[in-house]
Amino acid sequence: MDEMLMEFLAESAEQIEAASAQIVAFERNPDDAALISSIFRLVHTIKGTCGFLGLERLQRLTHHAESLIGCLREGATATPDVVSAILTAVDQVKVLLGDLEETGQEPEGDDSEMIALLERQVAICQGGEAASAAPAEEPLAAVAEPEPEVVEEVMPEPEPEPVASAPEEWPAEPVSEIPARPATQETLDALVASLRAAKLDVRREQSASVKAEGAKAPEPAPAALAVKGAPEAAHPSAAKAGEASEGRAKGADTIRINLNTLERIMNLVSELVLTRNQLIELTRHKEDETLKSPLQRLSTMTTDLQDAVMRARMQPVERVFSNLPRMIRDLANDLNKKINLVTEGADTELDRQLIDLIRDPLTHLVRNCADHGIETPEERLRVGKPAAGTVRVSAAHEAGQITIEIADDGRGLDINKIKKKAIQLGVASAQQLERMSDEEIYRFIFAAGFSTAEKVTNVSGRGVGMDVVRENIQAIGGSVALTSTPGKGAKFALKIPLTLAIAPALIVEASGQRFALPQHSVVEAVGLNGGEHKIELVQGSKILQLREAVLPIGSLAELLHLAPPENRTAEAEQLAVIMRVGAHAFGITVDAVVDVQEIVVKPMGVSLSHLSSFSGHTILGDGSVVLILDPNGVCQALGLEQSREGSAANVESDALRVGDRTRLVYFRAGTGVDKVLPLSNIARIETVSSEKIEFSNGMMLMQHQGRLMPIVAAAPDVMVREGDNTVFVVSPDGEPFGLLIDAIVDIIEEKLDVEIAGDQPGIVGAAEINGKVVELLDIAHFIDIVRPQAERPKDRKSRLLLIDDAAFFRDMLASTLQAHGFEVVKAGSGAQGASALGHSGPFDAALIDIELPDVAGYELAERLREAGAAFPMIALAPYATREILRAAAAAGMAGAVGKFQRTQMLDLIHACIEQQNDMQDEVLFAGAAA
Amino acid sequence: MSYESSKVIRDGLQTAGSALDGYFSIKVAGDTFGLPVTQVQTIFRIGSVTAAPGGPADIVGLVNLRGKIVTAVSLRRRLGLEPEAGGPGSLAIGIEHHKEAFALLVDEVGDVLTLTADNAIAPPPHIGRQRAKFASGYNRFGGQILPLLNVDAVFDFSEDKS
Repeated sequence: MDEMLMEFLAESAEQIEAASAQIVAFERNPDDAALISSIFRLVHTIKGTCGFLGLERLQRLTHHAESLIGCLREGATATPDVVSAILTAVDQVKVLLGDLEETGQEPEGDDSEMIALLERQVAICQGGEAASAAPAEEPLAAVAEPEPEVVEEVMPEPEPEPVASAPEEWPAEPVSEIPARPATQETLDALVASLRAAKLDVRREQSASVKAEGAKAPEPAPAALAVKGAPEAAHPSAAKAGEASEGRAKGADTIRINLNTLERIMNLVSELVLTRNQLIELTRHKEDETLKSPLQRLSTMTTDLQDAVMRARMQPVERVFSNLPRMIRDLANDLNKKINLVTEGADTELDRQLIDLIRDPLTHLVRNCADHGIETPEERLRVGKPAAGTVRVSAAHEAGQITIEIADDGRGLDINKIKKKAIQLGVASAQQLERMSDEEIYRFIFAAGFSTAEKVTNVSGRGVGMDVVRENIQAIGGSVALTSTPGKGAKFALKIPLTLAIAPALIVEASGQRFALPQHSVVEAVGLNGGEHKIELVQGSKILQLREAVLPIGSLAELLHLAPPENRTAEAEQLAVIMRVGAHAFGITVDAVVDVQEIVVKPMGVSLSHLSSFSGHTILGDGSVVLILDPNGVCQALGLEQSREGSAANVESDALRVGDRTRLVYFRAGTGVDKVLPLSNIARIETVSSEKIEFSNGMMLMQHQGRLMPIVAAAPDVMVREGDNTVFVVSPDGEPFGLLIDAIVDIIEEKLDVEIAGDQPGIVGAAEINGKVVELLDIAHFIDIVRPQAERPKDRKSRLLLIDDAAFFRDMLASTLQAHGFEVVKAGSGAQGASALGHSGPFDAALIDIELPDVAGYELAERLREAGAAFPMIALAPYATREILRAAAAAGMAGAVGKFQRTQMLDLIHACIEQQNDMQDEVLFAGAAA
Repeated sequence: MSYESSKVIRDGLQTAGSALDGYFSIKVAGDTFGLPVTQVQTIFRIGSVTAAPGGPADIVGLVNLRGKIVTAVSLRRRLGLEPEAGGPGSLAIGIEHHKEAFALLVDEVGDVLTLTADNAIAPPPHIGRQRAKFASGYNRFGGQILPLLNVDAVFDFSEDKS
């Protein structure tokens, strides 16, 4: 296919999308003259280019569509019939373009029916304004106008003096279309429009050849000719020319790049990252300062370069949003509803690969909101809402992720219907439902075969979709959260990673071979040698009991048919990695988790791409090649694709956190105000019969997973009651204990700011949530009650407090540190860090980002010290320069280290902790000297 | 598990240009094949090999060649001959085929031969089908019959996937 045609297709696809969105907007807003002009221009541009490329069928069709749009522009009313006719035509153009892209030529056949329809509408429009002498029909001149490329530059003024009539003959045009009047303003406008649109920056290079062709084309309009002589001079004035300016400004500083070129740059950068990693690995144990400093610079620059290239691949989510207005319009018509669509953040950018992947899930969610969420106008008026419902789609970029929210102001999810359906489908019993929070119940709609629509419409309600939505989003490492308020509406929040090209992964070892396992599907890793978790054989299949859940589990070595290594030791396969794919939770056993690394995902070559267990391969820091396990494939290899019982909910951790918000359990304990506790602190919520709670030695005890577990009352006046009692199982360091409360009120997602520090034991402080005062429970206090200091395990993990406002770094560093045996408490701000000190302390060391939103890292370090923190603190910076090292020393910090200097960071932490343990007071300075 | 890197012996072969109609004589277990010089990118000794579990048996594994992942294929296994160990240090020819980078493990890479069209002979009719598909033609050279390696067939694993 020639280059011109390809460029035309790429452009037209965008223009067509834009046009249909604008037509829908125009229907609602018929007074917006600018809008209809813009639509007219879009269609006209396509028509013009079609003519130039000799695409007769497309040209004829767009010509008639344009005529009808022309009528609207001249004041005809945009009746639904007219708009529908135009939209149908636009659809047909899309179909033709699609065929054209596939085959390289226009499909056979004609569109006489469609054209007839358009003509009828034109006639109606014109009939309506019979008084108007001028035929609304677009004069032929516009069609035959010299092709857009003839004159490179746009005319300086959008409304120049009249132009001589254009040539009379145009082969593609039916005779009946011969214009009755000379070219008018409209012709000129159209000419300006198509010239402008055609003037695509990259084409500038082609201008010479195109101009040559232009000379052979029919004589261009004199005004255009005049400009032709001085195209460069015309440019600035054209840019200023009112409506022209917008398109101009955009065009001036962008160029179109072939995707392959971009892919190649991306690949080269990936190679560079790998080489950098290898270099770092090589010099890890060398103390050569002359090498370290340039290497660090290389490291930083590579990261920056990678970032810059990633950005170049980004495209605005507008590409997905643009087809929504049309969809909503059609839905509203089909369903007899009134729906407004509001989109926000359409300029948010996302990797182009991901844009294509989220299109379907997003479309489905919007459909769902319109279909299930928004009520009929009558119903809305009855409950005092405006007749027209609103579906709001907004995208925002936050901390290395994209959040897309789809919200409606409809009726919200019907919890009773969901419950009924859940029981009917057998996914939960009535008793289980009783104990579940509303949110947990809402989440059932993501289960396969779940649809509560009583009436199956052709829009949605066939029970396929929500599960697929969730699976698709999870497959790309994202998550879906859902909130709903009865009568007020529902909101879906999609979290999507910025790119798929680079992903954090666990490097696991099985039978002497290493594999990379993408972290997004890993829920947790469980040691199997402790005795608490054992693999059992149930009817020949391996099963792991993990807390409540019964998980299918398989040996990675067996699934991949790996030959056992010669010197197989007893310690082999002592680790179960729990993963979740869609609705399935399952485990695989491996020999060890060797490392956590950011890997550059490369697709497999054709000869191995059929292996479903692997999604690609990558090169690790040491240069060795590892295969990337495909969680989906592993899931299938376990034979899981059929059964949908996986009870993923139980192993789902705090994946639903949104921004700075925390999921909190809101409960009553004692007579005071309601209490809250972060859900992440609670391992399980148990309902315990009073008979099961025993008293011994002044302490309450209950049987839990085969052992006696101590229970403490969450407040002094909480008593064991007859019948069922609610106990939170808290497991701070693998040693669980119970917290007896009165009743759970709710599970909420709120930003928690502890405002008033409490002096009452067991309470961190008071906070305000939804206008009510609540108290945040201090878990550390209860740990002390259950297990006095001396009893705590000596060889406990070193605990680190990690304070960084960027969730990306927080998660990345935390996973690295956890992989190296540290226990990490994360905080996103100075205030959170300070409160973590209160309720999650003590710590062995703190890592503090020097640039926090609320307070400078150095200042925070001083404040924490004043608050009694005696542990060493390490400053985190993008890059540890001398200035930072100096400032950190001045603030009494133990050192500073760059966020990407993993090895140095680990060394520094170890050194700090050791030194602290040795009770030495000397300030240690490691890290990098720039 | 220490990693061993691949070592390049000859490079930039494709661009040498001097012997466009030249053929490398490559040897595996007593068999000699001609391989067009234009197809060969690199001759190197492979480093650590990562096995590809479940993949075609003739694929030894994946190898890092200067930061690029190449699929190592044993020509011996391909031809149904007694397989080599295929470990680090094996001699390999870097060939790109349909945009996938391959390393073809061979015993020996010999001289560059210049073959002309007059040397071509009809395929001997009695060669087994399994072997014959790996030859794209036969040439008489220095009193010997030299089959030319059919690279397309060697790297086409579509039959091995099931």
